[in-house]
Amino acid sequence: MLETLQNLYLGFTVALSPPVLLYAFVGCFIGTVVGVLPGVGPLAGISLLLPATFGLNATNAIVMLAGIYYGAMYGGSTTSILMRIPGEAASVMTCIDGYAMARKGRAGAALAIAAVGSYVAGTASVVGLMFLAPPLASFALRFGPPEYFALLLLGLLVLAYMSGGSMLKALTMAALGLLLGMIGIDQMTGYFRFAYGVVELGDGIGVVPVAVGLFGLSEILATAGQAKPPDVIKPRLRELLPSRQEWRDSAMPIARGTVLGFLIGIIPGSAHIISSFVSYAVERRLARRPEEFGKGAVAGVAGPESANNSATSGAFVPMLALGVPSGPIPAVMLAAMMVHGVSPGPLLIKQQPELFWGFIASMYVGNVVLLILNLPLVGLFVNLLRVPYPLLYPGILVFCILGVYAVNNSVVDVWIMLATGVLGYLLRKLDFETAPIVLGVILAPMIEMALRQSLAMSDGHYTILVVRPISAVLLAVGAALVLLSLKPLVSRGLDWRARLALAEKGEEL
Amino acid sequence: MTPGRIALALLLVLCTSAPAAAQEAYPSRPITIVAPFPPGGVADLTARPVGVALEKVLRNPVGVVNKTGAAGAVGMQYVATSRPDGYTLLLALSSISIIPEADKLFGRPPAFTVDQFEPLALISADPTILVVRAESPWKTAREFIEDARKRPGQISFSSSGVYGTLHMAMELLQHAAGIKLRHVPYAGAGPALTAILGGHVDALASGPAVILPHIKAGKLRPLAGWGDKRVAALPEVPTFKELGYAEAEFYIWAGLFAPTGTPEPVLQKLRDALRVAVNDSDFKTAMDKLETPIAFKQGEEFRKFFEADARRLAEGVRNVGRIEAK
Repeated sequence: MLETLQNLYLGFTVALSPPVLLYAFVGCFIGTVVGVLPGVGPLAGISLLLPATFGLNATNAIVMLAGIYYGAMYGGSTTSILMRIPGEAASVMTCIDGYAMARKGRAGAALAIAAVGSYVAGTASVVGLMFLAPPLASFALRFGPPEYFALLLLGLLVLAYMSGGSMLKALTMAALGLLLGMIGIDQMTGYFRFAYGVVELGDGIGVVPVAVGLFGLSEILATAGQAKPPDVIKPRLRELLPSRQEWRDSAMPIARGTVLGFLIGIIPGSAHIISSFVSYAVERRLARRPEEFGKGAVAGVAGPESANNSATSGAFVPMLALGVPSGPIPAVMLAAMMVHGVSPGPLLIKQQPELFWGFIASMYVGNVVLLILNLPLVGLFVNLLRVPYPLLYPGILVFCILGVYAVNNSVVDVWIMLATGVLGYLLRKLDFETAPIVLGVILAPMIEMALRQSLAMSDGHYTILVVRPISAVLLAVGAALVLLSLKPLVSRGLDWRARLALAEKGEEL
Repeated sequence: MTPGRIALALLLVLCTSAPAAAQEAYPSRPITIVAPFPPGGVADLTARPVGVALEKVLRNPVGVVNKTGAAGAVGMQYVATSRPDGYTLLLALSSISIIPEADKLFGRPPAFTVDQFEPLALISADPTILVVRAESPWKTAREFIEDARKRPGQISFSSSGVYGTLHMAMELLQHAAGIKLRHVPYAGAGPALTAILGGHVDALASGPAVILPHIKAGKLRPLAGWGDKRVAALPEVPTFKELGYAEAEFYIWAGLFAPTGTPEPVLQKLRDALRVAVNDSDFKTAMDKLETPIAFKQGEEFRKFFEADARRLAEGVRNVGRIEAK
């Protein structure tokens, strides 16, 4: 304990030195921009700027790149809340209730809660990173394909909580999403599936183009199709701040999101995306009035936004403690270390204490910077909504296309975005929800890969999924959740879904 | 204003990929090196110092663009079909000879063929190393191979993907030693390394630079290498050639190519410039930090290396054959 504090003191002397402070600020700033821009996510941002860090020293480079990563998690909520366009994949869930809050004139409150939740989660999870990194890292590595598969199945259960309307329609959309997710090279055999000779489809359909298309573009098209344009929301200053009730409603979701996000973030893979889904499902499951979800429940913003932030710190655990490239973003950061001659490995913390502790301390500093940076921006961003739609929407469209193109320099991605935009518009007209499609596209390739890897490990025996303790526990939790949701069938009571359906019928009559 | 400067740098990078019209003495406008893999990978990390060194020699801007997708096929196809004027170059890895062979195997129209590229220079060639976890029973490569022979299909290995480089290395070994291992493909070299460190597979073939820290930390044990010679950083680790498996030869190499049809004077200028560039002291330091020895080869020497490598890999792909789902 004392040693940790001494080390932390060393870390702060590094982190508060002017150059490191400057690069932490630059990283956080760029991260916020990257998060706000639709399409450009943290991976693309870090990749684009990696070459720019080659001239810096290792600590500055790592501090800046990490700033981009967690800064993007702050910024990602902005366009989700204001325009229903996910700035990056982990903000998909925020689109649902965040945008609904904005339509009710609570955009400022949603943005403020997202920023504060991110701050709490970011800071608390660095504490976790600091004290728990080495023991947790070895635990995280025990997550192999079978465990990952079980976790993803839990993620799939989220579907049941994603839509307030017809379960049949939600599951249909999820199935469509899972099918779209099957496009691309079969990772286990090398076959091209549904690519029709387009080499770019080899990697499958990207989550970001699909999410921007289905949410953002379809919203723009739907608005444009209305006979009378919707009223421009004119936020007043005192409405920028969350009410006392909103604070109270988001306190526990922030706390739960923080813990959940950190634990899921440690697991190798793209876990920060899943963390926001799981958090949303948990909040809806625990909520006293689950029917408010999808219509602007503040918990639906607070939980996932906290979760994706603390997941970023979680992702650093195996990277720093063991030098393991535990996901695409840590892999790029490890490469950045190698470029500077720092060999990442289990001995990193011992051999490079300035780098490790400087990095930890810079994350404390960075989160404060981001809070200071983001809270005043709330007022500015909310005022974007004052821009009349004929000017606002074409502008957004341009940014969407630029952002989606920039990630891979791929025109195919732009076409995917445009096509899913039209699809999303049609589905909305037919009263289908589009969020389950996005979830399907995200989960399908991961679930398939994990399941088939598990079977490759066991030579085809499905028992591998239940004999390994972690995956057995996760599967049991999943089974329990399914059984719980069957309870109303037995007890004949009305659950919230049925109540909601009745209420809606009442409205229509 | 550092953010502003970075934005400016970004803008410049974007501008370098914009085409210019005039055709004058080569080079008269920025050259682009396409790395067909994401930033941070071997191709990217080699392309960037090469670009910087080349820029110094040619006194002309050289930029690196990552065009990723389909295990490198997207970027390679892009260069194969771009104008052969010496302004678009490719930094390729051994997958350049694997992908067309795999396309042939599946009977699909190839994304590109090897003869669409003119080899300019080999930059580095690192043999892969066979590693197992430190607590595993095999102390030597012989013990490993003997055990694998006794228990066919029981010992597992992770790879960077099916038909990927790390898969091919293992395939060449299996063929040479007459053993059968259990293959668990992962999406990239990083996850494959994570898998063996987590104990989910028994063995891995990997480039030396990424596993050295884990060997030093006592987590992984090197058994043998795929090289012609022993690796300088691991002098006590024998090669498979020494152990009598001559066909188990494999390198993770990085080389520079131009599209076929590039005029001979341009090719000559690039080759001469590269020869000077690899001796640049900054370039040497950069490769040193990556712990990747420079293995510069040009002309006939590179062609021979490339052809022998392509032949082994083509054979490897055919030996794997089409993988039918169980």
